[in-house]
Amino acid sequence: MSSNNKKWFSLNIGRKNQETSSSCSCGKQSGGCGGHNHEETDKIEERKNGFEQVFDVKMDRRSAFKQLAASLAIGAGAVSTSCSMFSGDESKEKAQIDWEEQFKGNYKLMTDEEKQATVDRLVRSYQLRTGKTINMSAKNAEENVLFGYAFNISKCQGYMDCVSACVEENNQDRNSQMQYIRIHEMKDGNGFNFSEADDNYYHEVPAEGHFYMGTQCFHCDNPPCVNVCPVQATWREDDGLVVVDYDWCVGCRYCMAACPYDGRRFNWSKPEVPEEEINKNQHYLGNRLRKKGVMEKCTFCVQRSRAGKNPACVEACPTGARIFGNLLDPNSTIRWVLENKKVFRLKEDLGTEPKFWYFMD
Amino acid sequence: MNNYIIHRIVCISFISLLFFSCKHGEGEYHGVTDKIKAESENYHGVSLSSEAYLEGIETIEITEGGHTFLIPERKRHIKSYACTECHSKPLSQLQSKDGKKAHWDIKLHHANENTMNCATCHDGNDMDNLKSLTGNSIDFNNSYNLCNQCHTKQFEDWKGGAHGKRIGGWAPPRASMTCVNCHNPHKPHFEKRWPARFNTQKIKERE
Repeated sequence: MSSNNKKWFSLNIGRKNQETSSSCSCGKQSGGCGGHNHEETDKIEERKNGFEQVFDVKMDRRSAFKQLAASLAIGAGAVSTSCSMFSGDESKEKAQIDWEEQFKGNYKLMTDEEKQATVDRLVRSYQLRTGKTINMSAKNAEENVLFGYAFNISKCQGYMDCVSACVEENNQDRNSQMQYIRIHEMKDGNGFNFSEADDNYYHEVPAEGHFYMGTQCFHCDNPPCVNVCPVQATWREDDGLVVVDYDWCVGCRYCMAACPYDGRRFNWSKPEVPEEEINKNQHYLGNRLRKKGVMEKCTFCVQRSRAGKNPACVEACPTGARIFGNLLDPNSTIRWVLENKKVFRLKEDLGTEPKFWYFMD
Repeated sequence: MNNYIIHRIVCISFISLLFFSCKHGEGEYHGVTDKIKAESENYHGVSLSSEAYLEGIETIEITEGGHTFLIPERKRHIKSYACTECHSKPLSQLQSKDGKKAHWDIKLHHANENTMNCATCHDGNDMDNLKSLTGNSIDFNNSYNLCNQCHTKQFEDWKGGAHGKRIGGWAPPRASMTCVNCHNPHKPHFEKRWPARFNTQKIKERE
């Protein structure tokens, strides 16, 4: 845990140092200390470590004070519990985890080991708090994969099975009834008229003279939400998924305002999911439990899609209106749809390049 | 002479603009369609597979119109297959005047009476197989060949993957539902029903 190239400062109280003998004082795990490998050293220097990412930024007095206060509270808590004669090993470990989590870096900048370490900490922390074991993944984007989605407007009957499956899969807040997917009931003959559409109907479907279309995060290839984020807590992954680091998000909601598709959701209150309903198969960038004051959105079920599965909405749809796949595979079904059906995207003229196409039979 | 040089400079700068103006940076394309086209050129597969998610589902491999994929095995899931266990004699000899005694629960809601009856698909002389409009035998496992006699457009979409739900995951191998996995062949349309959920919080927020 205490190798020299770690990007945050740890207290290491009550725990033994684990020697990482292979690392030398320059911080490199492999190769010599000389500067012959110029590119690599440059890369290391360019990256700011977690501690610097927190403190080495210009901030106004108020936010600086807030940041400091929060860190001090955690630090003080950590010190008091770890030095206390009465608190047990578990609370010491909890304090250590809280400390390391507070000062960890941006997920986007982490190495694979650091990603795994934060995931391990989160799993352990959940275990310490609830006694339950979850399974959290830090799986990176697969090579040769670009995820895309197609939605058949002729097929959708408005059953909303996709919405239910999504809420259960992604551990969305039950109190505010947060939903990533909206199904819009539209009048035949009026085209896509969102101002007259109803996305919260409750009557037998499909209703006479209406058609249905769904919206969610379109995982734009040129995502405006990513550009506006002041802390780079949201970004586009190599497989095309637009993701959020819930631990880096400051909750400014700029992204919510920038999204032309209403794809993003905000946790106004502490999200709550009954323990027995929690989906324990999680991903750091996906359905792990969120906190109050952070953004979230559809991730094409990153915990499923990066394992080769279809997103929960695709699996739940009883009509087969939802098609998901790898845009880079010339033999995939999504590619056949794009090449053989008359497809279009929403607000194509904005240049956001959504990877979510609509088509009809 | 001077004019000629100016003309050339303007021309060259325009041409160079054409080549360079749209490159915003490394790895960027005009749009996602260009990106897909360029990056899929040397596609050499992914390490992921759907096979694990297909475990426990018996499938058969079919090749139709250049597409090879898996569909669920059918015969073992028909409750009273093989039909000849009861239909030991040709249908005409089993029928009585009192009306139907078996299959009383099946009513045909598929096209109209002029177009279809039981014998359009079932063969009275060979109950274990289906038959095409011209009288050729069609295996129950490949019943899509019966449907595609009329539903040609849906068949095209199904082969390509635009119609019919995927089983397992997005990763290869592809497994798709066949016609009868979603549509009851005797009553193929989808029923009206209530939506799975209603968002009461949204109503409050919008009041």
